[in-house]
Amino acid sequence: MAYRRLVSLLSRRREWAPHFQTPQRVHGKTVCKHPTHHPARNQKLLHTGRPVMTMMKLLSVDELFAKRSLQEHLKKVEKEYNECLQAVTYSATDDECSEDELKEKRTKVSLLAPLIQSIRELDKKQQEITETEMLLKDDDAALRELAELERESCLRDIQDLRQKVLELLIPEEEADMSDLVLEVTAGVGGQEAMLFTAEMFDMYEGFARYHGWSFDVLEHMSSDLGGLRHASASISGSQSYKKMKFEAGVHRVQRVPKTEKQGRTHTSTMTVAVLPQPTEISFTINPKDLRIETTRASGAGGQHVNTTDSAVRIVHLPTGLVAECQQERSQLKNREKAMKSLRAKLYSMKLEEETSKRYNQRKVQIGTKGRSEKIRTYNYAQDRITDHRISMTVHDVRSFLLGEDLLNEMNSSLQEFSNQEALMELLEEGNQAEP
Amino acid sequence: MWWRRTLSRSCRCCLGCGRSGAKGIWSLHTRPVCSAPALPAGRITALQALDVWKRHFEEKGVTEPEHSSQYIIAHLLGAKTIESVDQQSLTQFLSKEKTEQVWQLCTRRLSRMPVQYVIEEWDFRDLTLKLRPPVFIPRPETEELVELVLTDLQRHPGAAETRRQTCLEVGCGSGAVSLSLLKSLPQLEAFALDRSQDAVDLSRENALRLGLQDRLKVYHMDVIKDAERMLGLFSSISALVSNPPYLFSEDMATLEPEILRFEDHAALDGGEDGLNVIRQILALAPDFLSDRGRVYLEVDPRHPPLVRRWTEENVEGLRYAETRHDASGRPRFCILQKEESHKDPDQD
Repeated sequence: MAYRRLVSLLSRRREWAPHFQTPQRVHGKTVCKHPTHHPARNQKLLHTGRPVMTMMKLLSVDELFAKRSLQEHLKKVEKEYNECLQAVTYSATDDECSEDELKEKRTKVSLLAPLIQSIRELDKKQQEITETEMLLKDDDAALRELAELERESCLRDIQDLRQKVLELLIPEEEADMSDLVLEVTAGVGGQEAMLFTAEMFDMYEGFARYHGWSFDVLEHMSSDLGGLRHASASISGSQSYKKMKFEAGVHRVQRVPKTEKQGRTHTSTMTVAVLPQPTEISFTINPKDLRIETTRASGAGGQHVNTTDSAVRIVHLPTGLVAECQQERSQLKNREKAMKSLRAKLYSMKLEEETSKRYNQRKVQIGTKGRSEKIRTYNYAQDRITDHRISMTVHDVRSFLLGEDLLNEMNSSLQEFSNQEALMELLEEGNQAEP
Repeated sequence: MWWRRTLSRSCRCCLGCGRSGAKGIWSLHTRPVCSAPALPAGRITALQALDVWKRHFEEKGVTEPEHSSQYIIAHLLGAKTIESVDQQSLTQFLSKEKTEQVWQLCTRRLSRMPVQYVIEEWDFRDLTLKLRPPVFIPRPETEELVELVLTDLQRHPGAAETRRQTCLEVGCGSGAVSLSLLKSLPQLEAFALDRSQDAVDLSRENALRLGLQDRLKVYHMDVIKDAERMLGLFSSISALVSNPPYLFSEDMATLEPEILRFEDHAALDGGEDGLNVIRQILALAPDFLSDRGRVYLEVDPRHPPLVRRWTEENVEGLRYAETRHDASGRPRFCILQKEESHKDPDQD
């Protein structure tokens, strides 16, 4: 049972690259984490807005490797690899496996190969260090010194290899390699919420710039006072979806609004949705399923009409999903942008269906589900930003909203926690399924 | 409100840039009367100006009142659309100079001058083109015409010979189609012609602005009157493209003032059945085209079956390939291909 589940997990080609280090101390700024009593491995919370009772601690590489479940898992993976390798190597004489099964095993072998190699290198290094440690007791001082240096170098290699093994173990999401469409929408709080939404949109533009990603506005609906009702942008660049996915959810601001005359603090919200953008090949839409609406539709169009309204609205008939764009003066460009938006929406809908079961259990919400989950609060009075999923607080709201170092650090922490959760899940599933 | 104080301040009626190339049909109902709101006494913000002019356009029956004021004011603020203007610029007070510019341009719009002529530019696919009356303003449908040509030219980059691809545009107007093709196909060489000197000048100007002048040759020619000359000039063309005048003469009168008063009627009127220029292009096409070269035409939705029949009956060496539709689902584009004529040996 466990075998098959493991196999199905691994065959989905997922790899994340986490940093499995001890929690970083952010220079010059306080980073508070709630102390933990024990890891929350047995307390998988369904993702809700409720404050976390026991916080999941970020385990170090060594701590993870000390876990029996991890060691057993590694052994399992090796065993599976060896079995597949054997089946594939002796396939000519072995009639037991069908052609399809063989193909599956071949894929598995190539998938697992890097991981197995790292595991073996790790084992080798462990052996080396044991031998070196014997030399530490030697009488010869010079030899002892050399042994000491050797041991240190070995320890470093072991750390690196362990990290690599963990990275290779973590399943990767199908969408991790893609670009994304970012959507921001003002929530509760009227004009103040819309002003906050505008600031958040700017923050993400800054974040994109910080990472060297492109930021192409697809839609931008502002309000009278300079706030933003709704906007969307197409972001593309290396690891863009992988990082941005942690921003999805409801963000809450607590401050005295500009429009407030009596100096009272208000709480307003805005929602961020992150939709992975599939490539042309991986996700195609049948043009027949689309109805394209433009202002040219009525009358004869063509040379008969000269208009400047080049807004385009595309309706996906089977699902009823709609995307529109009026950002550009060229109708073709508006159509292209609306299509981009629509593809992202359809794709994320498809992904949501596929992965809903999996992510229900996770605290660190990824992607578009849980739009009503309050993930972060920006409190101006206390000049702090708190992410509720990992109970992490950083200070200096103004700098945070630039979308640079501070946001990046919080984002990285979220990634680490998420990776650890994924790993735990992987190990737990392996354990649970013991016959 | 201060702007309602002064009414009907008559100002000089603005009709294009003083060009009277357009043979305007002045209907009694649409005699241009400009009564622009007076310049504000104090300073106003862009947002306020947008509102003032939107209302004024509405009052005067100017079509697309909100879009008009938005595009004009955005342009003066250095942006293409109002959505791309940052909040600060919108809420800051405009300088006296800027306010005057807003008033000047918006007043032009009052006379139903198309926005594209008022701001003297517009976007076409990924180009920004300079536009001036009476040169025809590119329509969104024509963006799709370019798409069709591009798809084919990209699929078959060159004939067996490694000769460069060439295209010929009849009736280039502002140069939109040719320049778009040149922009997307770095190896393409383009020839364009127009019977209007204004159009020829504008096409050349746009080519220069876009850095594409090396690969575009523009000719001042009329496809009907200068057919002989053309036959000597153009041969082995990969693609013949045109958005020819295709309106039916009787439909001309129903056009909006934006078109009637400001755009060159010769760029619109295709004769009684709208096919005068189209027929000429098709008749000459086999002589211009290389083997398997194609003709791409934008037409009136009623034309495709007519074009097919006429070609079958009158043009040897040209086969009607397909009809394509525009984004609104109307039959809009005719594609024809040069082929060896098949003469049934028994028929003669």
